[in-house]
Amino acid sequence: MVARIKSLSPIELERAKPAPAPREIAVRMLDLVKTYRDGTEANRGISLEVQRGEVVAIVGPNGAGKTTFLRQLTTELRPTSGSVSVFGVDALAEPQQAKRAMGITPQEAGVFERLTVREHFELFAHLKHLSKREAREAAREVIAELELIGETNKSVGSLSGGQRRRILIGLALLGRPPLLVLDEPTTGLDPASRRAVWGVIRRAVNTGTTVILSTHYMEEAERLSDRIAVIAAGRLIAFGTLDELLTRMDRSYSLSYRDPIDPLSDLRIRYFASFAQAQQHIARELLSEYSIARASLEDVYFTLTGEPFDKDETETIG
Amino acid sequence: MTRATDIVCVFRIQFAGTRREVGPFLLAAFVFPAAMYLFANAVAGGDGASQQSRLRFLSGSIVFSLSLTSISWLGYLLLENRFTGRLKLFATMPLAPSSYVFGVLLFAVAQAAVSTTTLLVLGRVLGVQISPNFLLLMIVILLTILCLCGLGVIVAARARSFSQGSLLTDTLGAGLIFLAPVYYAPEMMPRALRVFAQLLPTTFAARAVQATLGGGHEIGNDLLALSLMAVATLALGFRLMKWRED
Repeated sequence: MVARIKSLSPIELERAKPAPAPREIAVRMLDLVKTYRDGTEANRGISLEVQRGEVVAIVGPNGAGKTTFLRQLTTELRPTSGSVSVFGVDALAEPQQAKRAMGITPQEAGVFERLTVREHFELFAHLKHLSKREAREAAREVIAELELIGETNKSVGSLSGGQRRRILIGLALLGRPPLLVLDEPTTGLDPASRRAVWGVIRRAVNTGTTVILSTHYMEEAERLSDRIAVIAAGRLIAFGTLDELLTRMDRSYSLSYRDPIDPLSDLRIRYFASFAQAQQHIARELLSEYSIARASLEDVYFTLTGEPFDKDETETIG
Repeated sequence: MTRATDIVCVFRIQFAGTRREVGPFLLAAFVFPAAMYLFANAVAGGDGASQQSRLRFLSGSIVFSLSLTSISWLGYLLLENRFTGRLKLFATMPLAPSSYVFGVLLFAVAQAAVSTTTLLVLGRVLGVQISPNFLLLMIVILLTILCLCGLGVIVAARARSFSQGSLLTDTLGAGLIFLAPVYYAPEMMPRALRVFAQLLPTTFAARAVQATLGGGHEIGNDLLALSLMAVATLALGFRLMKWRED
């Protein structure tokens, strides 16, 4: 009896693994430096490790180096120095092999306007080496998931900007790659479409997909990600869970109240490093009507990046 | 195998993306070259033109068609892919840049097959006596396409803008036809231009096509020159057509 053994590629072996190991590294980027020919230092030694099944959001001001960072990960841009590995594959030495594990949505890309939505997905699924039947099935799934069923046979040129954006996201999803790299995936989408995309990302994560996305929407980063990387001036200035980032602030909680002696006075807002300090202030001032709010990622972002912030409205204690 | 599949897939995407642009394709591949044949034939005396002249005009029109499809039309597609961000879409796929270029080349080959066949049929209808060795003709045409496509790839990869690239491919496509002895004998050219024309791929292509259509087989030097030019232009084109920026 002859046993037939089907050889699997490293990526197929990777995907065939039964359960995600808790500390397994999906993406490792070490000391990435990108200096352009004109001397511009877009990335100045960024190191980042992303675990399998994790969602990491990259935030930072315009021009901070987020897209440069992601383009190096997706092998589109060669770093000046540093290394990138994707599921153990050296992405600089073997870009195609690394890309087989990735679904990529660039910040900007064109579509073939005369192709229908279905053709777009089916043909590009073939480029991801899916068989004809698999490509058809993958296209059907992605069309349903991105709520484009009504547009299936329409030419892409007739779609709205938001729908075209969803097509770019759908192309990344084809073939269920173990890693999604999404550069500002929801920019330009209306709130409903944005939430639909969030749902798509969450469902992908539930099946073990690792996601790295850049965004300007703090709410998006807060809702979707396990960890957040803040990039400013080409450097990684913070990386951690929201709780970890909040501990780096001297203003993690805000207390809103009115003077108990003069209830008609203006609302006062004070900031505290911890919840306990806020409680102490309440006790000391004998406040009866107040509200305490935890700082948001936006507060962290402004604090860490030094972006303009209306400091006149704040008073920090603690 | 994967590479072949990738090439066919790029071809299919390009084909599906341009299938509704039949008008420009017909203009580039058939109408202009056919009109040039009729024009040259009329200038040469119409029905009184010699069979040798008619053969030259037909072979010239075939090379003109290859130039329009391989440089102007194909260059336009490559430029469009690059400057509308479609190239980036291909770059996100696990696809080698050379597979992308070969996929687009395959598209050019398909176009050339259609246009050459149509022009040959037109030539027969208009009374041009041809006795081609089809295998040899296919080799000549393939080498010509590879050579001209290489030039189109170089322009598309290096152009700084869509309009600049478009202008360059159009100029190159027309220049290679009208600065080379494609529609007329080399002896009719100014001496300086004759020397320059000896460096142009269309000179070798026109000579080889004409000889092949006339039943000749002694085109070894032309095939060698076309082969060397094809290797050189494609090698440079592949080198310049990168997914990854430095």
